Order: sequence, then structure tokens, then C-alpha cells
Amino acid sequence: MKKYMGNKLAILLFVLPALAIFITFDFIPIIQVFAYSFTDWNGLTMPNFTGLKNYLDLFTDRVFYTSNRNQLIFAIVITVYQIFFATVFAITISDKKMKGRKFLRVAYFIPVILSVTVVCQLWSAILSGEGLLNKLFEAAGSGFSQNWLGDRYKAIYVIAFVNAWQWMGYQFALIVAGIKSIPADYYEAAKIDGCSNVLAHLKITIPLLAETYKFCLIISLTGGIKAFTEMNILTGGGPNKSTFTLTYMMYNAAFKKSDYGYGLAAASVMVIECMLVMLVINFIFREKNQKKEEEKSRRRRNA
Amino acid sequence: MRKEGKKSALHYIFVVFCWIYAAFSLYPLIWMLFYSFKTNQEIFVTNPFGFPWPLHYENYITAWTKYDVPLYFLNSLLVSIGTVAITIVCALLFSYATSRMVWKMKTFTRLFLGLGMFIPVQAIMIPVVKVVQKFNLMGTRWSLVFPYVAINLAFACMVYYGFFKGIPIELEEAACMDGATIYQTFFRIIEPLVRPATVTLVIYIFLNAWNEFILANVVVGSIPALKTLPLGVLFFQGEFTTDWGGMGATMVIASFPAILVYSIFSEQVENAMTIGGAVKG
Amino acid sequence: MKKRILSTLMCATVAVTSLIGCGSTETQTTTDAPAATEAPAAAETETEEKAADTTADASGDKVTLSIYTQYADDDTKVPYDYAVEQLKEAYPNVELNLIVQAQDDGQTLKTLAATGQLPDIYQASTDLINTFRESNQIMVLNDVAKSTGFLDKLYDANKDLAYAEDGNIYAFPFSGQEYVLWYYNKALFEENGLSVPETYDDLLNCIEVFKSKGITPLALFGQEGWNTAAAYDVVATRYAAGGIKALDEGTAKVTDEGYVKAAKKLEELVAAGLFQEDATTTNYDQASEKFLSGEAAMFINGQWYIEDATKALGENVDWMFYPAEDAASYEAGKAAFSGGGSASGFAVNPDSANAELAAEVAEFITEKYCEAKVMYRHNPLVALNTGKEPDSEYPAMMKKLSDTLPSVTSTTKFTWGLTNSTFNDGIQSESQGLVSGQFTADEFIEDMNDIME
Repeated sequence: MKKYMGNKLAILLFVLPALAIFITFDFIPIIQVFAYSFTDWNGLTMPNFTGLKNYLDLFTDRVFYTSNRNQLIFAIVITVYQIFFATVFAITISDKKMKGRKFLRVAYFIPVILSVTVVCQLWSAILSGEGLLNKLFEAAGSGFSQNWLGDRYKAIYVIAFVNAWQWMGYQFALIVAGIKSIPADYYEAAKIDGCSNVLAHLKITIPLLAETYKFCLIISLTGGIKAFTEMNILTGGGPNKSTFTLTYMMYNAAFKKSDYGYGLAAASVMVIECMLVMLVINFIFREKNQKKEEEKSRRRRNA
Repeated sequence: MRKEGKKSALHYIFVVFCWIYAAFSLYPLIWMLFYSFKTNQEIFVTNPFGFPWPLHYENYITAWTKYDVPLYFLNSLLVSIGTVAITIVCALLFSYATSRMVWKMKTFTRLFLGLGMFIPVQAIMIPVVKVVQKFNLMGTRWSLVFPYVAINLAFACMVYYGFFKGIPIELEEAACMDGATIYQTFFRIIEPLVRPATVTLVIYIFLNAWNEFILANVVVGSIPALKTLPLGVLFFQGEFTTDWGGMGATMVIASFPAILVYSIFSEQVENAMTIGGAVKG
Repeated sequence: MKKRILSTLMCATVAVTSLIGCGSTETQTTTDAPAATEAPAAAETETEEKAADTTADASGDKVTLSIYTQYADDDTKVPYDYAVEQLKEAYPNVELNLIVQAQDDGQTLKTLAATGQLPDIYQASTDLINTFRESNQIMVLNDVAKSTGFLDKLYDANKDLAYAEDGNIYAFPFSGQEYVLWYYNKALFEENGLSVPETYDDLLNCIEVFKSKGITPLALFGQEGWNTAAAYDVVATRYAAGGIKALDEGTAKVTDEGYVKAAKKLEELVAAGLFQEDATTTNYDQASEKFLSGEAAMFINGQWYIEDATKALGENVDWMFYPAEDAASYEAGKAAFSGGGSASGFAVNPDSANAELAAEVAEFITEKYCEAKVMYRHNPLVALNTGKEPDSEYPAMMKKLSDTLPSVTSTTKFTWGLTNSTFNDGIQSESQGLVSGQFTADEFIEDMNDIME
């Protein structure tokens, strides 16, 4: 069996196409990004090596800290929101007794299909100073009206919510597909044991979908760290760069200030942050994986 | 059984919540449709949320006449289909090898490719275009397809990895006993089991490629015969002012195929064979 | 295959008959050849051939020049369409391939330049001119400017716009000196019994009255950094005539008394509610619609807005001199305007196969842009003396501006005319912070000072 699954030629054939495309069109450019981050390149002229200067400048830049703080908030908000709602809705529509489940399944995914511009435009109409939300609050006579998108400290939460709301459907679809691949007899067994539906899901679905959750986590956390488009459309990074992220810093430095090297230093730091997050998640889930394997084999023996 | 009465009350509230959330998710679609029939003044001041009246259908005429919609549409379609096909094949094979087959370095290789998920397109744009030029792909649709594949690969591989991990090893053991080659095992037995993932990924990658703007603008922005649909919005965005209604119309036109793709493929998730079924059978 | 032979033949003919056109056709066939041969393998045969077809047609006896410029609203579409039409007569062998400019802070153009795909003619801002000069990707147009008569037509007042710091011409500007105007809705002021504010105390009074009526005093589109920078500049020029231009050039410091006072004054006005609360997330269209529909009483924008404002509000709109600290400085300040010319204009890619022709065409288009702006956009503030008359009378606001201009002694810059990109980025975002009311004047001064060091 080991030999069967260790077929060298097959492995080579399977791995090669993906690796070739990745290395040529993604990895080589990434290496250049790192290399140029140590230079004063402006995108056009010959770069001069400047050592760690860009990085030292970056670490003393006020915006660098705002950006990191924003990314952290963004990542946490979208992860919690998306994983919670995606799980709840996925379990709901996987229940064959739920009426209109096919319709719901399409509905939850709709925001993902729409272009970011449309979604942001809608939300900025809702959230603007005289927007729908503030009018609702005024009509209700509460003084909760806010400058939702223009607040130096709070705007980032609002933008994170918009992003979380739009992309929740992604995680939802992934979890639905995951549930689909769980053998139905697991649930039957649970029912015989007298578990309620919710309990059955807590005990079976979520542990069995550990791998699915792992990549959902990676997607939303790194998505938060990489965030750019929503800020660009909703606030333009403002007021005064208080909704910047590292990608925004990169964009601003490279294209507005023609300081490519500096921008790429910001991008490099971001890539390293993302990699760390991925490694940490992999590490955490490795323990659980082993446990799961054990449980699986035990279950199998019992059956 | 004993909780039955209590549960149904809670259940009822929950179902209502699900439907409200769904309405909330569908609303932007309707909003976009309304929006595409409005003028800037209606959008920003007089009527941001209501039904558009009078209908400014001329937005659609502008959208249709400003650029060659059918051609851009065809280009987008070809590029998106090409991207989806190549990405799916590469990712399927790669993830199978890194998740189930036995060899050294497989974890490293997997994480190495995962690197691709983290880099923003803006940062690698110049080097990517240079690579495309080196391979003499400029002026062909491959100039978009390959970079798109590279960008989507990491994500697709990660999703597949998760799904492959959940398949019991007995399947391959049995196939091996029956004398199937590794290729037969993969294509006949394993691949059908991850169909739900494949279908989900088809939708994602298609949407990514369909909506991509930044790279498309740089690579094919100067070649009229190859321009893709997202580039159409450029005709509405001035330095100072934007024709939001016309842009809305463009986006409505661009959204239809995406919705269609989702409706068709999400049905496939439902019909896909389950691992449970395969093990039993 | 037949088609390819045909197109090669055609190219050969062109090379013999037309000395000007040969360069582009040659390069086109070489770059197209791989595309055409790869097509069958690409399983996209049909459309690939179509693509090759069109270029073959174009290379008949024509030269195709690519041009990267704005083409979205009337102010950019009307001149372009007019120029293309005129070009057909003057240069029947030239065809333009329009690449619409993306509103992306030069991201696209810089990437095209970095990868050697710069269009033959492109619209370049001051910042781009400076960047491309370093990498030799912008053509020196001194000779063409002379031979085509561009220099003779250039208004004296705009001479400094054409020349870069090193004394060369790199782009043909079509806009002349431009000005930041403080527009106001006459009807709204009259209805509320207010006269045009001359001092900041008057202005504060207006703010109070408008706010009590639920009218936004001044609709700012603060999502765009240039508008907030202009808002700071109109205040700063009341205290130091050099405004942001002097800061950009380093002849003044932000810690100078005038600039500090201006920041404090703007902070005070913001706190009083001069701008709408969500000013920093408002885009141009939102703010403009607010003003045009009478929901806002004032608006700050360039003089190019006269045409649109008059169309929507007719008699009810006018512009005012910027308010100042007291009556004396108000009068004195009438001669100091915010805004100014910029060197932005049509530039040429020196590596273009038809660089010489492209330069001529760029000059021609520039002239036609000026003509169209005068004739159809009622904007006489263009770079060149076109000798054309508008198709109808100038709007009242434009007349008032032309009457005022002779007495204007000092102008500043729009952000796109600034030369120091670090300062430019800094003033845009820091002034936005000031306008949001969440950053203090002291923070503004301190941060700007840091940025300049």
C-alpha cells in the first residue's frame, strides 16, 4: 500500500503543473517583491540597494501601527461573524425538513456574486450621514445616530462588518459542501443515541469539519490582514489614513508617492504576518487532527 | 422528545430570523436593479432606496453603446472558463498528491504553495506582467488566464486538501486490492467524492476571474479585441464625476452570468454523491 | 494563413510607400505573429483570428497610435470626440486607439511604463512627468513645440506651465490657469436673509442659520484629498498668500504663523459645522448633487464647475471671494486665489515606433482640446489662444471671473500641480483629518512638520 501511494511518477505528474504555474506566475514575482523591498526603487529606474532603510522607516511610521491595529480588528470581526453565521445557516439548510431551503441557499450567497463596488455603494447609502440607518434611529427617537464611516476609531468596525456580511456566503457554501460529505449514518447513529438535532451537529458536524474550519479560519483571518478594496471605496482610507491597512500603505506609497521600495516593504511585512497566522492555525489544528483520527478509528471498530 | 414543545417555539423564531437574513441578502440585488434606472441626483439625494420612477432605461442604452458589450462579454467568458478549467485540474492533482500520497517534503510543498494566498495583486503586478511578456503571451488571452490561475491556485489547493483529508483510506486500499492503477483510483473513485468541493470552487474561481479588474486593465487594457467586462466601468468614471446609473446598468449586465453560474452549480452540490454513499456502495 | 500573407504584403507596401507609417506596422506584425500562430492551439481560434484580422485591417495604410486619456464625463468626452473628428481631416492616415484612463492614482500608467507598454500618447500629471523624466520615458518636445507653432499660441500667462524645472517641454498642457471657486446658492442666502459672508464671523453666522434650517452650509467631497487640501488652502491663502504652493516648494514652513492660524481657523469652522458631518466619506457626486439640489448652500470646486452649476441652478448660483479674518484682509485677499495651473498635458512615449508623428498628433490634439473647451464647454481658461468663440454666451460666473482675473496677483496650486509627492500625499490626508473634526490643528501642524522632515 505504501508503495502504491508513493508512486513517484504519479506524484511528479500530479504536483508539477500546479507548481510550474505557481512558481512562474506567483512565486518569482513574490521573490522580487522581497528583493525590491530593500531598495529605493520607484517602479521605473534602476533600484539602489538601501538595506533595511525601508523597514526602519516603516517601523517608525505612525500609519504602520494604525494599519496593523485595523487589520487585527478587521480579521477578528470578519472571522467571528462569518464562521458563526455560516455554520448556523449551513446546518439549517442542510436539514431536509427545512422549508424553502433551496431558495435560502441561493439567497445567502447572493452578496458574494455582486461586485464589491455595488455592495459598498449600497452600504455607503445606508451608513452615510443622512443615510437609512441614521434616519431609522432618528425616527425611533434615539440619539444613536453616528458618523458611521467617518469616525477615526470606529469606522474600521463598520467596514469590517460590511466585508463580513458580503463574504459570509463563501464560508457558508464551503461548510454546506463539507456537511454534504459527512456520511448520513453518523447522524442516524446519533439520533438513535437520543441526541437532539443541535446536539448532533455540535457533536458530529463541527468536529468532523475541522479541516473545513481550518481553511475557513485561514481565509477570513488572512483576508482581514489583506483587506483593501472596501476601505478604498467606502472611506478612501480616511479620515487621515485612520482606516489604512498594510495593503493600502503599499498602494499609497507605490502609486501616489512613487516610492515602490517602501510600499513593497509594507507588503512583505504583510505576507510574513499572513504566513505566521497560517502556521499558527496549522499548529493548533494538528493536535486536534490526531485526536480526530483516533476517534474515527475507534468509531469504526465499534461499528 | 421531552423538549419538543419548547423547541418548536425557539425553532419558529429561528426560522423567521433565517428568512429575514435572506431578505437582507437579496436586497442588494433589487437595489442594484433599481439603481441602474436612476440618475445621479436620484441615487444620492432624492430617491436612494425607493422604486425608480421615471425609469431611466437610457442608462442601459448608454452602457450598451459606450463599448462593445458582446465582445467584452465573450472575452470575460473565455478567460473565466479557461481559468476555472486549468485551476481545477491543477489544484485537484496537486492536493491529492500532497494530502493522500506518501512522500517526503509534501507538507513543505503544500505550505509553499499556500504562500500564494497572501500577496496582494497590486504588489506583484509589475513582475507578473514582465513574466507574461517573457513567455510572449502578450496579446493573447493566456496573458490573463495564467496569472489568474496562479492567483487562485493556493486557495483551491487549500480547500481540496481539507476535503481529501476527510476521505477514509479504505477506499484506496480496496482499489489497490482490485488492481486499479493509482490514476484509475484517483479519477474513478476519489475525484467524484470531492465534487461538492469542486463545484464550490468552480463558482469561486469563476467569480474571481469574472470580476477581476486591476490586472486586466494593465494587461489587455490597450487591446480592444481582448478587453474584459469589468473594464467597461472605466467609461463611466471620470476624474471628478461618475455616471453611477450607467455603471449600475453595466454591473447588472455583468452580474447575470455570475448568478446563472451559481444557480446551476449550486444545484450540483446538492446532487453530488456523498462519501457515505461511496463507502457503503 | 492567407490573411497573414496578405497582411505581410500590405505591410511591405506601406513600408515602401509611406515613410512615416512603416515603423508601427512592422512592430505590429512582429508582435501579432506569435498570437496568430498560437491561436489554433489555444482553442480560441475563431476570436484570435478576429483579433489578428482587425490589426491587419488597421495596418492597411494607417498608423494606429494608442492614447491614454480620460473619457468619461462631458468635460473629457466632448474635447476628445472633437479632436478625433478634426484629426481625421488633418491626419487621414492616423487612427487613435483610445485607452480610457483609470482613476487609480496612476497605478495603471506606471505599471505600463514599468513593463515597457507605455502608450504612444498619454495624459501625464506633474508627478508622472517628474517620475518618467528620471527613467527617460517621456519625450522632450521642445522642437515639436516650435515647429508646430505651439509656443506661439501659448498664452504668456501659461508659459511656465509648459516648461519643466530643467527648462524642457515634456507635455503639451491644455488647461490654463485654473482657480478654486467658492460657489454659493444665491437663492438660499436670500431666503434666509443672509448676505455673502466677508469675514469668518459672518461665515460663522451663516453656518448657524443654515444649520438651524437643516441645510448643510458647505458640501465638501472630502473623500477626495484634493478637495480637503483646497479647503485648507482657501483659508491658508488669507493668512499667507503662498498657500500650499509655498509649502510644496519649501519657501514656507507649516509652523509659520500664517499656516498655524489657518489650521486653527479651519478647526474652528469645522467645529462650528461648516461641512457636513460625514464630509470625509462623501464623494464628488454626492456633494455636488447636494449643492445642486439646494440641500447645501455652498460648495468648493474648480472654475470648470461653472458650466454644470449654471446648467442646474441658472441665476441662483454665483461664486464669492473667500471670507477672511477681517474686512481689510478680505479686500486684500481678493487678489490671492487658491488653485493655479499645472503642467499636466499630453506627453509622448519616446520609445514609440512613431514618436515623431505621435508628438505632432499630441500637439494637434492639445490644440483641439483647447478649442473644444472654449467652444462647447464655455471655458476660456485654456492653455492656448485658439481664436475661437463659444457657441453661446459665457455664463455670468465666467464673465465675473474673467473681469476679476487681471487683478489677481497670486495663485497657488491644485494638488495635481504639486511637485513634492511626499508633501502632496501628506497635505491631502492631513487636511482630511482636519476637516473630519477628529484631528486637532496642533496634530495637523505637528504631523505636517514631521512629514516635511
